[in-house]
Amino acid sequence: MTAIPRPATVGEGTASPPLIEIRGVTRVYDTGRVEVPALRGVDLDVRQGEFVAIVGHSGSGKTTLMNIIGCLDRPTDGTYRIAGQDIADCDDDGLARLRSRTIGFVFQNCNLLPRTSALENVATPLLHQGVARKQRLERARAPLERLGLGDRLDHEPSELSGGQQQRVAIARALVTEPSLILADEPTGNLDTASGEEVIAILHELNAEGRTIVLITHEADVAAHAGRQVHVRDGRIVE
Amino acid sequence: MSALEMIRLAMSRLRTSRLRTFLTMLGVIIGVASVVALVGVGQGATSGITARLQGLGTNLLTVSPGSTTSGFTRSAAGSATTLTQEDAAAIAKVQGVAAVEPEVSTQAFLVAGDGNTTTTILGTTSAYPLVRAYDIADGSFFNQASVDHALRVVVLGATTASDLGISTNAPGRTITINGIPFQVVGVLATKGTSGPFSQDDQAIIPITTHRDYFSSGDKVRSIGVSVADASGIELAKASIAATLEQRHGVTSTNQDFTIADQAQLLSTFSSVGATLALLLGGIASISLLVGGIGIMNIMLVSVRERTREIGIRKAIGARGRDILAQFLIEALVISLIGGAIGIVVGLLVSVLISSVAGWSVAFSPLTILAAVVFSLAVGVVFGVLPARQAARLDPIVALRYE
Repeated sequence: MTAIPRPATVGEGTASPPLIEIRGVTRVYDTGRVEVPALRGVDLDVRQGEFVAIVGHSGSGKTTLMNIIGCLDRPTDGTYRIAGQDIADCDDDGLARLRSRTIGFVFQNCNLLPRTSALENVATPLLHQGVARKQRLERARAPLERLGLGDRLDHEPSELSGGQQQRVAIARALVTEPSLILADEPTGNLDTASGEEVIAILHELNAEGRTIVLITHEADVAAHAGRQVHVRDGRIVE
Repeated sequence: MSALEMIRLAMSRLRTSRLRTFLTMLGVIIGVASVVALVGVGQGATSGITARLQGLGTNLLTVSPGSTTSGFTRSAAGSATTLTQEDAAAIAKVQGVAAVEPEVSTQAFLVAGDGNTTTTILGTTSAYPLVRAYDIADGSFFNQASVDHALRVVVLGATTASDLGISTNAPGRTITINGIPFQVVGVLATKGTSGPFSQDDQAIIPITTHRDYFSSGDKVRSIGVSVADASGIELAKASIAATLEQRHGVTSTNQDFTIADQAQLLSTFSSVGATLALLLGGIASISLLVGGIGIMNIMLVSVRERTREIGIRKAIGARGRDILAQFLIEALVISLIGGAIGIVVGLLVSVLISSVAGWSVAFSPLTILAAVVFSLAVGVVFGVLPARQAARLDPIVALRYE
């Protein structure tokens, strides 16, 4: 079993390299007829322990930026380092490894595996890390209990409310103890109360020293973050 | 991710859609079952014929009349009546020949008390059990004196005796053949063959008696020759041919008889049987192929349906090869379980065929092994394409797939 060390909290102003280091990144989609630039040269640093909101309207390029930060996509040009690792040096398996060990995803529509219990859902990232079943289920229990789902372990996603589903998704992102929590519109499909609950959980996690990058188009959600980065027309504008 | 984990995952996936899994499996089950059953029947037929031929007698040569050419029309082999009892006597004098038995035969109606049957009445000499390798189960075979005096005595085949309802205490009883009373002197031990042309279903009487009541003239249907030493068979064959050619005034180019030996018959029937088994197996393989295409079809649908799941798994750290292995193992589990059930069903069907049709069925471990390997291959061949398709999905596209 390989335990991922909890990222150390880094104080402001230290000289250690940032967790995320984006330099001159562009991303051009080749649709066959025309080339559509989604990112036109982005520089962005995120230090360990930060809570950053990436804000932009649809079509601004924020989803493309999230895909690149989440190692789901590669930049057309420019460099991207995460936890000191230049992803240009990674093959597809290397990217999968980064997604598995360094990043925890929280998606807008939860994206839980259907017909699979909450416990098994949370244990799935550990399955792909090669952790044995017994230890997997043991480790998956802790974040679920912490998020108040201790009595919902055997429920399938269809038996859970939207807020509960999103908490399961957060538990799944936490189970590998990743350096970065990447949340894509985590409140987008939730009612106000559940949305506030999710934001509160993210705050709590940040207070414990976790680095959080939140992608949203809602200004009031972004206001909870320590720092806001606005994306417009493929560029960071402020 | 260990292989065991993969199999567990595949099993739980397959359990969630039981009906679909079963229907997909059914293709493989039918394919493997028909391969196992048909190859079993084919091999059973081969080994049955082989056993029957081996039961015919050792060091046996069978001399039969050849075909005749009347005008420009050539008749079927065996249609000529060129062999006589004198030919048999001449063959008996050839060096290396141990015993000779000429045969004539007719069909006749037998009655014993309440029992009756219709069977072959064979007229021959007392050398018959020696040449044809029969044991006597009860009583004795008729002797040379019975042949010399054309006595109305009969020796029954085991099946004939039981058909007549006189399996026990047959010797000494009187039966009628086409209304003519005969005394039973013995019953032959069974050779264990069954079905049409059984060697256990016949009634044997002296050839002289046969001529008096059922046939006439000097012609014989065939002459069985027992050669003293197996190594002398080829030589004896040549000597007999020379003797007959001289007697009939023919040469080796227009022989009016044929001499068949057991080895020749055996190899002919073995190759026919092997061809039969291959043919049946080939036909059955087509259904296995169709079963494999069924797997591929369902797997492709499954990849499409589970695109989102694949996207999620990739986003949370699954590598392409993990996804590939997952789908491939699902296909393998279907084909292997289907193969196992297919083997059991195939064996059951074979047993059913053998009990209904009275054929023997042979199971070779090789057939079973081949069926397992074959169904595994089906799983791999037809699982790879869908699995590769799944593994190559772009997680971004897959996550957005509705």
